[in-house]
Amino acid sequence: MSGYACLVVEDSPMMRQLIVFALSRIKNMTVTEADDGIVGLKKLAQGRFDLIITDINMPIMDGLKLVRKIRSDERHKDVPVIVITTEGSKEDRERAMALGASAYITKPIQAPQVIETVKELLKI
Amino acid sequence: MSSRKQNRPSDQPADLRAERETFVRNFLHKGVELTEDLIRENQGLEQQVRHLQDDNTRLRAQLASNDAIRELLVTIESLERERKSLLSRSDELERAFQQHEQRHSEVENELNDLASLYVASFQLSGTLSVGRVVRHMCELLEQLVGAQSFVIYIISPEGKRGLPVGSRGQGDVSTLPSVSVEDGVIGDVCLTGVPRITEPQQPRKDNEPLAVLPLVFDTEVVGIIAINKLLPHKRGWARVDEELFKLLSAHGATALIAANMYATEGGPRAALRDVIGRMEREKLRQLAEAEAEVGGDV
Repeated sequence: MSGYACLVVEDSPMMRQLIVFALSRIKNMTVTEADDGIVGLKKLAQGRFDLIITDINMPIMDGLKLVRKIRSDERHKDVPVIVITTEGSKEDRERAMALGASAYITKPIQAPQVIETVKELLKI
Repeated sequence: MSSRKQNRPSDQPADLRAERETFVRNFLHKGVELTEDLIRENQGLEQQVRHLQDDNTRLRAQLASNDAIRELLVTIESLERERKSLLSRSDELERAFQQHEQRHSEVENELNDLASLYVASFQLSGTLSVGRVVRHMCELLEQLVGAQSFVIYIISPEGKRGLPVGSRGQGDVSTLPSVSVEDGVIGDVCLTGVPRITEPQQPRKDNEPLAVLPLVFDTEVVGIIAINKLLPHKRGWARVDEELFKLLSAHGATALIAANMYATEGGPRAALRDVIGRMEREKLRQLAEAEAEVGGDV
């Protein structure tokens, strides 16, 4: 069965739920959730993902470290990564992009923005 | 013999002979000329006939061509009408498409707003931890409304002060001062239970919040949210913000009270003890109230 698998790493349950809601509107999309970078890496090791969406500001392991880890791993270095940033944090955004993030979404999260960015990256 | 000799032409006088020869020559010459004229005339006539035949052919062709042109003109006219009709249809479709696009965009926005409301409601009522309720309220204000700086206060039991329990963009909540809930905009909102929301561009008094929202349980104001600043990219209030404020006002207060009461209980099952007894007592009380009401009317 052809489909897409997405890993959402976000510590805020509210934001996570909003992202999952947006992703649920993309056909054949399955979503795995993680509430911080460490859990995200564990879930990444257990499955195959076509896309990763991660928040930048998270406790324990933040999004920047997660992006660095993902890009240094041969298995996931080509998986598109979307980072979620706040409008004001231009530096974080630039750092994430320099580390290899594929795109960014700014808070507050808007479902159409998430859907559009995901479709663009997955070419669907 | 001599008379026969005299009858011979040679015997005629030379001038007569010459005259006759001249006449005959002239006659022949005229005949030749006439014949030649006739031949030329004939050739001319033949040429005219050919010209006329050519003209005839040309005119016939032209006539046929004119008919074809007339038919073509009729076809062009009909095609022109069809083109106009298609253009008109195309314009209609374009308008319908634009309306559809607009409607689609509106539906998308509505869906997005509903999702925000659903998530906010789900998160607020999905926990019985005071800390999490406050965190969800803060996230709701920050992520869904787009507030950059705000404080959530609960009203002290005697109803005079607002005590800060959560904030963003104003430093640590434990260092924030309490506020009076008896005067100013906050006092008005506490008294009336009606939110006070001003547009960011609208002039305000110093230190006056951009928006003051009541946290209401039943009809009593139990808390206040003071929003002081919006995120830079948020230029004004969105339509969904009003709905989010209503949700925060009602669900936020209930969630906070429920979480605070639950904190003294020994877990979810313990918190449900005597539910049936309470239901019974509540029913009896309602019946008594109804009877008293009927008795009063009589």
